[in-house]
Amino acid sequence: MATMTGHAVRNDKQALLAIYKAMQTIRRTEEHMARAHQRGLIHGACHTYVGEEAIAVGVCAHLGAEDVVFSTHRGHGHALAKGVTPQSLVAELLGRETGCSRGRGGSMHLFAPEVGMMGTSGIVGPCILQAAGAGYSFKLMKSDHVAVAFFGDGAVNNGAFHEGLNMAGIWKLPVLFICENNGFATEIPFEYASGSRSVAARASAYGLPGVEVDGNDVLAVSKAALEAVERARGGGGATLIECKTYRTRAHAEGMGDFTYRTREEVEQWKTRCPILRLRQMLVEAAIANEAELRAIDDEVEAMAVEAVTLAEQAAWPDPSTAADHVYATPVRVDNPPPTGNRETSFMKATLEALTYEMENNSRIYVMGEGIGVRGGNFATTTGLFDRFGPVRLCDTPISERGFVGMAAGAAMTGTRPVVDFMFADFVLDAVGEILNQIAKVQYMSSGRLKMPVLLRGCIGVGNSAATHHSGNYSSMYAHFPGLRVVVPSCPYDAKGLLTRALRCDDPVLFLEHRGVLSIKGPVPEGSYEIEFGRAAVVREGTDVTVVALAMMVHQVRKVCDVLAKEGISVELIDPRTVAPLDVETIHASVRKTGRLLIVDETFAPFGLGAEIAAQVADAGFDDLDAPIRRLNGVHTPTPYSPPLEAAVVPGLDAIAKAIRDLVAE
Amino acid sequence: MAIHIIIPRLGWSMDEGIFAGWLKADGDSIRAGDPLFTLQGEKATQDVEAIDEGVLKIPATGPLVGETVLVGAIIGYLVQAGESLPGTAVAKRPDPIPVRSDEPKSSPLARRIAREHGIDWTKLVGSGSSGRIRRADVLKAIQSEEVVSRPVIASPGRRVIAARMEESRRTTVPVTLTTTADVTNLVGLRRQFKAAEGPGLDVPSFMDFTVKLTALALRDHLALNSGNASVHVGIAVDTEGGLVVPVIRDATTLGLRQIAIRSRELISHARERKLRPDEMQGGTFTVTNLGAFGVETFTPIINPPECAILGMGKIERRPVMDGEEVVGRDLMHLSLTFDHRVVDGAPAARFLKQLVQSLENPAPWLMA
Repeated sequence: MATMTGHAVRNDKQALLAIYKAMQTIRRTEEHMARAHQRGLIHGACHTYVGEEAIAVGVCAHLGAEDVVFSTHRGHGHALAKGVTPQSLVAELLGRETGCSRGRGGSMHLFAPEVGMMGTSGIVGPCILQAAGAGYSFKLMKSDHVAVAFFGDGAVNNGAFHEGLNMAGIWKLPVLFICENNGFATEIPFEYASGSRSVAARASAYGLPGVEVDGNDVLAVSKAALEAVERARGGGGATLIECKTYRTRAHAEGMGDFTYRTREEVEQWKTRCPILRLRQMLVEAAIANEAELRAIDDEVEAMAVEAVTLAEQAAWPDPSTAADHVYATPVRVDNPPPTGNRETSFMKATLEALTYEMENNSRIYVMGEGIGVRGGNFATTTGLFDRFGPVRLCDTPISERGFVGMAAGAAMTGTRPVVDFMFADFVLDAVGEILNQIAKVQYMSSGRLKMPVLLRGCIGVGNSAATHHSGNYSSMYAHFPGLRVVVPSCPYDAKGLLTRALRCDDPVLFLEHRGVLSIKGPVPEGSYEIEFGRAAVVREGTDVTVVALAMMVHQVRKVCDVLAKEGISVELIDPRTVAPLDVETIHASVRKTGRLLIVDETFAPFGLGAEIAAQVADAGFDDLDAPIRRLNGVHTPTPYSPPLEAAVVPGLDAIAKAIRDLVAE
Repeated sequence: MAIHIIIPRLGWSMDEGIFAGWLKADGDSIRAGDPLFTLQGEKATQDVEAIDEGVLKIPATGPLVGETVLVGAIIGYLVQAGESLPGTAVAKRPDPIPVRSDEPKSSPLARRIAREHGIDWTKLVGSGSSGRIRRADVLKAIQSEEVVSRPVIASPGRRVIAARMEESRRTTVPVTLTTTADVTNLVGLRRQFKAAEGPGLDVPSFMDFTVKLTALALRDHLALNSGNASVHVGIAVDTEGGLVVPVIRDATTLGLRQIAIRSRELISHARERKLRPDEMQGGTFTVTNLGAFGVETFTPIINPPECAILGMGKIERRPVMDGEEVVGRDLMHLSLTFDHRVVDGAPAARFLKQLVQSLENPAPWLMA
């Protein structure tokens, strides 16, 4: 199959036979997988591509190894057409170590970045955004590679389609959006689900060319794809191609098929089989004879049989590796320098870090609303637009899900996106992209893809910003494997941690509390990193350990001075990162003080305090001289009116009282 | 409906008794007032009479003679004609209900420090806002006159010993019997070994003789062997790190020489701190020897979960009346501590008597 890729279809025999063989390889491999499913060898879902082979093959015929494909839950055909071997595909569905995703994915999560197969997703829509993001990477790196998104008709009614095509349109990204319209989103007819009968017609809404082709005619698909690829490579931007087709097996193996369509309709479509059609054309046009084609069939059949045999013989993955590749391999980080005497603000410190890294790494770019000429709502990018230009300082439409989803595709293809989402509340629209894609891709690709995405935004209650501009989501993100969650409190930490975030290969949520942005503190002029998962002992003490983040660090500090006069000595610890969380430093402090209070502006249930309390109670039960206490914000959306707002966050009096009470416990 | 036959409470504080047998057979017609079964309570054995009428049904799961039964347990039924038996099983003895603690509130840290310093924190007064005993209270107690002389249990090894001793005190009811054995013959026998001493001929110590003979006596008095059929004798060894008790396994089947070799190995492992965990586990009885220090009798502490321990005192030559003559004899003091919960005084004394006999005339026993 690898011989297929990179060859434009010419009207020559060799190319046509290669296309025939590629389609037949998909068909025969899937037929054997259907049998394997019946034998119970496939443990999860198995969505076949039978009847649609012309599309994957017709498009991938024009792609080189450096071009990339993003696909869907029905991705066997795309994987095989892009160069994944039948053997590693079948082994993946059988859950074996030799599978293309090393047994971590199965039918719906196929990864083979070494051949440009950047992944299939069990979620409908993200592949559109990721292909757009890869297109952005190629544009930034000035390469002539193209990205392809294969998706079904179900995806076109998803917001990702709208946001992804729109951004690909405005930035002229080298992307092919290939809609495989097989008439049903699972079982929901396209005619029912879409107000417009044409997908291709929607392209004009985004300023893109839209083409409709017979998806069962491989030469028609190939011709349309060739034009689109040439347009993309030539800087002409993206194309939407709607391929009308039909799957002639059930949505998934083992599922019933005739509640939403008729047997007659399926049989009728089988007569339009793309493989049969090409075969007839080759014979009728006397390009190839029956014997030649039968030889190809036999060769493919033998390959498919061997794929199943070898997959059955392959080793299971080692259970001890089940949690490998959640994060990139850690690297050693030098200890940060002393603070020095130069004072600057938190925000200026982060700008120093970002500027330095952008100067030294041309693959870093920033995306967000108003971060270009305007320099960011919170002056996060002041002056950078003039320095680095509009591609690296990219203002976006208000499409949070879209540009966060694009960041995933960009990071997978070698660039380092910084997504500046102004307020953390806004990015909740993109949480699916963060948790289902960005957080999981390193794992799903068994570490072969990196995910260096920096997601930064403002958190915290204050300034009567009310409920949609006051959220703090650090605990929520920390709950999920695959993410780093950084919540700095001071300029020195902010600069070192942002630098680390811009150099590490893991996705980082960098959450900046609005209350600390203008706070000044000593910051070294040079570049330095602070390792994640290293808490800072902000103030040493003997009577009680208080853990606080971000704004609460400053609040607790104020209280400490008052309490010191009463004879209460507080040790204040700032974890600085919530994931990873440095419980060891907290526990070491509790060993000394015997008392622990966690002061957290965010909600108590299932939060930072609950996690720290559980871990310290477990590891340090015999070190506790009193119950572990939490002081949290009230479990309510944030109100607007100043007295209401003040009532939902821990104030100085409440903090002082909590510490006094704990010492008296 | 079937009427339950229930174990009654025979005394004020009785919560279990011993079932001593049915006085009627399964299927007998019972009239009110008929004696049904015999139950042994705390103070007396009593025939229990039927309160109701009916046909006696004794379930297969009913208690056997001699079995301990709980007050309230259903042991049988009185049914009416044509009525079938409910499928209820007889209640077995449940796990003991934990005793409600009257201990004062205390912090984990306070308890830990108290443990490490041998302080009984339950006697302290807590200064916490809810009366909780806190670190400060324990530290104050440590500094106060009253407890300043208390020993500090610092090393981990010491803490293990302390915990074992406390467990023994908490979970056993120890009684110590002391006696004296005339070991003149044994001293003579050992002298023969010494005379023949040479390469490969280890002279058994008095401890080795005692271990062997104790094992043989235990075989005939399994109650003292914690009820086990195999005899694994622990030997208390004094080391720099404190007391350890390695175990000589199957001491009845090992010959005297094998016991001598094995005990030397274990003692040297113990002193070099090289004992493996399995060399310290599985003991069924312990022998401890303070004779070398001139101690006559003492009160050895039982090594849980064993139920008895033998203490060897010094061997001294004393004038003894032999008829009307005074003769010199070698006498050895013995102290046997047993757990009176498990073993009564008389069986323990019988075991000790057999042990004394074998120590006084060891040769036939060692041939066994």
